[in-house]
Amino acid sequence: MKVKNLVLVNDESQLEKLAEFLENAAYEWDIPLKDTMNLNLVLEELFTNIVFYGYTDQLSHEILIQMSLDQDQITVSLEDDGREFNPLTVPEPDRSGQIEDRKIGGLGIFFVRNFTDDVTYQRLNNKNILTLKKTIKKI
Amino acid sequence: MELNEIKKGSYLVIQLPSRLDTSNYTELESKLIGIIDRGEHLIAVDCSGLVYISSSGLRVLLMALKKITAASGKFHLCCLQDNIREIFEISGFTSIFNIFETVDEACS
Repeated sequence: MKVKNLVLVNDESQLEKLAEFLENAAYEWDIPLKDTMNLNLVLEELFTNIVFYGYTDQLSHEILIQMSLDQDQITVSLEDDGREFNPLTVPEPDRSGQIEDRKIGGLGIFFVRNFTDDVTYQRLNNKNILTLKKTIKKI
Repeated sequence: MELNEIKKGSYLVIQLPSRLDTSNYTELESKLIGIIDRGEHLIAVDCSGLVYISSSGLRVLLMALKKITAASGKFHLCCLQDNIREIFEISGFTSIFNIFETVDEACS
């Protein structure tokens, strides 16, 4: 099993580091581009949620990302010390209706559900830990 | 963000960058608002170079669609790569955006 770790702080400019981290992992572990982009999307949505809504103070916080590959299964865990939040409780967005009624809220979590095979949430030692599993399809 | 604009008939073609996400959506947003406010109400967005979009990027496109629709204009998308099209489908955006295969079709 291969493992990589990334430590980010709660600032949206860190997304560049996240994209770079995924690009490197994709290259080293031979992950197809589509899976890499989908993982990037899922992690961006979760990370920005934490940055925008996770903290009530103005301090710097660390968000830990661990990614592993075991045969064709990728596991990614995100750990943050923000307020308790289980993204799995967010209702699905309304994806019907006219242009004027459409909103973006909730789409991020919807992407998470759609582009991963399994998502679990834990609240442990005052931390949110979200674990994602995704099977990749190598050509 | 470099945003190439090409006039094609009565349409203005805008070429999107390769990534549209939380780090650059505000830039695209202000550029699109500027373009719409100067009176361009027939816009075709060329997505051929776009390989990554997050909900922040989708939010900007939705904003532009709403703004142009309110002005009785047209905001067309074209040349979506497969993974981008999939994200549009999952978002339910394929039912509100007019999506074309080629730039020419998007401008007619």
